[in-house]
Amino acid sequence: MNFNLVLLMPEIALTSAAGLAILVDAFSPRGLSRRFLLWIAGGGIAISAALALRLLGTNTSAFNGAIAVDDYAVFFKLLFLAATLLVLLAADTFMEETRHRAEFVGLLLLATTGLMLLAAAMDLITLYISIEISSLSIAFLSAWDKRGLRSTEAGLKYFLLSAMSSAVLLYGMALLYGLTGHTRLDLIATQIGQGPNAALFLALAMLLAGFGFKVSAVPFQMWTPDVYEGAPLPITAFLSVASKAAGFAATVRVLQIALPTSQTDWTVLVAALAAATMTVGNIVALVQTNMKRMLAYSSIAQAGYVLVGVAAASQLGVSAVMFYLLAYTATNLAAFIACIAIFNLTDSEQIGDLRGLRWRSPWLAFALAVSLLSLAGLPPFVGFFAKLYVFWAAADRGLLWLVLVGVVNSAVSLYYYAQVIHDMYITGIGGGEPGVGDPVTTLGPRRPSPGLSTALTLAVIGVLVFGVLSGFFFGIGDVAARTVAR
Amino acid sequence: MVASFGPIAMAVVIATIFGLLPLGISRLVAPRKPDSVKNAPYECGVETIGPTMIQFKNHFYLYALIFVIFDVEAVFLFPWAVIFSQLGTLALVEMFVFVGLLLVGYAYAWRKGALDWV
Repeated sequence: MNFNLVLLMPEIALTSAAGLAILVDAFSPRGLSRRFLLWIAGGGIAISAALALRLLGTNTSAFNGAIAVDDYAVFFKLLFLAATLLVLLAADTFMEETRHRAEFVGLLLLATTGLMLLAAAMDLITLYISIEISSLSIAFLSAWDKRGLRSTEAGLKYFLLSAMSSAVLLYGMALLYGLTGHTRLDLIATQIGQGPNAALFLALAMLLAGFGFKVSAVPFQMWTPDVYEGAPLPITAFLSVASKAAGFAATVRVLQIALPTSQTDWTVLVAALAAATMTVGNIVALVQTNMKRMLAYSSIAQAGYVLVGVAAASQLGVSAVMFYLLAYTATNLAAFIACIAIFNLTDSEQIGDLRGLRWRSPWLAFALAVSLLSLAGLPPFVGFFAKLYVFWAAADRGLLWLVLVGVVNSAVSLYYYAQVIHDMYITGIGGGEPGVGDPVTTLGPRRPSPGLSTALTLAVIGVLVFGVLSGFFFGIGDVAARTVAR
Repeated sequence: MVASFGPIAMAVVIATIFGLLPLGISRLVAPRKPDSVKNAPYECGVETIGPTMIQFKNHFYLYALIFVIFDVEAVFLFPWAVIFSQLGTLALVEMFVFVGLLLVGYAYAWRKGALDWV
């Protein structure tokens, strides 16, 4: 038995920070201040990141091969930690106003722990438990505003659908175990026989359905807009980046290690999912008037682009997926944090109410415009390079039709992203400069809080730096991808 | 194949007749004189007072949750105690960690007033 706890230290550090935040808050007479909680959480995240960095290059496995400690896992752990830190910083107004803020921080850290384990899981049972750790925490967080109807609905929907998808996933795992007699991914690969096998296909389809829920791929995306709309915005931001990235991390690992394409060809299946996800996400996003719902459909479409990289099923594909997730995390966080700042000002989630934002808060308008252009995939922002690599990987595998679908979809998506930018920059209420009745001009001089500004600045810097140095960051992903890709 | 299920089908038929026959006979021949004592629930616990479909405190729910904490702890403690001597120091430490984590949850519930009946 290999009980080397050092290999699990990043997760242990984060769990301890979560426990500390909740316990100290419970025992302090008046509850902890937001600032103090932020220090605990930030400290936990920093320690965890430092410990994870030390494991870079270890490339081993712990607990009888149940948990992989490879560069691929470390890459994603650092990504989740960074995303969590930004979400916590951006949530400071929310935390000031909510009760139970220690529990908020604690649950967010526990959800992150689950996601980190998910990226490292090498065993079906570990994988399942990691998903449950994160899903349960996220369901609680989605239902945070427990007297609000929409938030409760979001939490309930997420909980019921994640339970449902867990059941499907578990059935798929049971089939895989029944076929091979192993729960470890690398051992499963050795036992899978050649040739077509109905039960194996069923297991594969069920696994893809379970993961499809987590990454909100069509046709498993139904929960996404409602949960994104109802959950508190910082949680929506967390859900749309960290949770989705972890789902992809696990999908790629399972597909690459347990089900090599030489034995089961899942390329067509994943490619079909990718095409459906891109198309449905983009087309439905065209008609949205609520900013959160628009971003929800946009994030579905983005999941489609990532699936293009997954479908490529090569080392290039895995590196492209990793780079895409890095880019997407920075970009989508920037978009959501800008939305948090704007909604703190206007209390409105309608896209129409962004009219004339350029005159009211030029910096917010700029940040939102940059992130939306990056989501649309325009150079020189990181979104462009991310799409380039993903499409390149797919074309390399001969999936030219999929690349074509992806490019057409990118063009379609530009319409709804540009619509928002048009509203912010060009239209006041009567066209031109905003008049007296314009929503954004009637507001008081409330500025975004320092934490929010910091988070937004960091995310926008991420969008710009990852874009300019895309070759360097793709290279990092490429090295890390070698530990899972065959 | 189907024929080999014959004895089972026979057993099902006989069992059904065997069960229904005495019930039918007693229904036909037995005298019936119900009174309030005879109609009272027999061996079913204390009779309820007032309507049973009422709202009750969700504190019961909290209590049940806290009970589950200790229930699960006991489930893990028993097998651990049985082979404890063969497992060595690591198992001892592990169990203390486990109990410690449960205590954290318990302390939290206590501080948050989940144990106060209001």
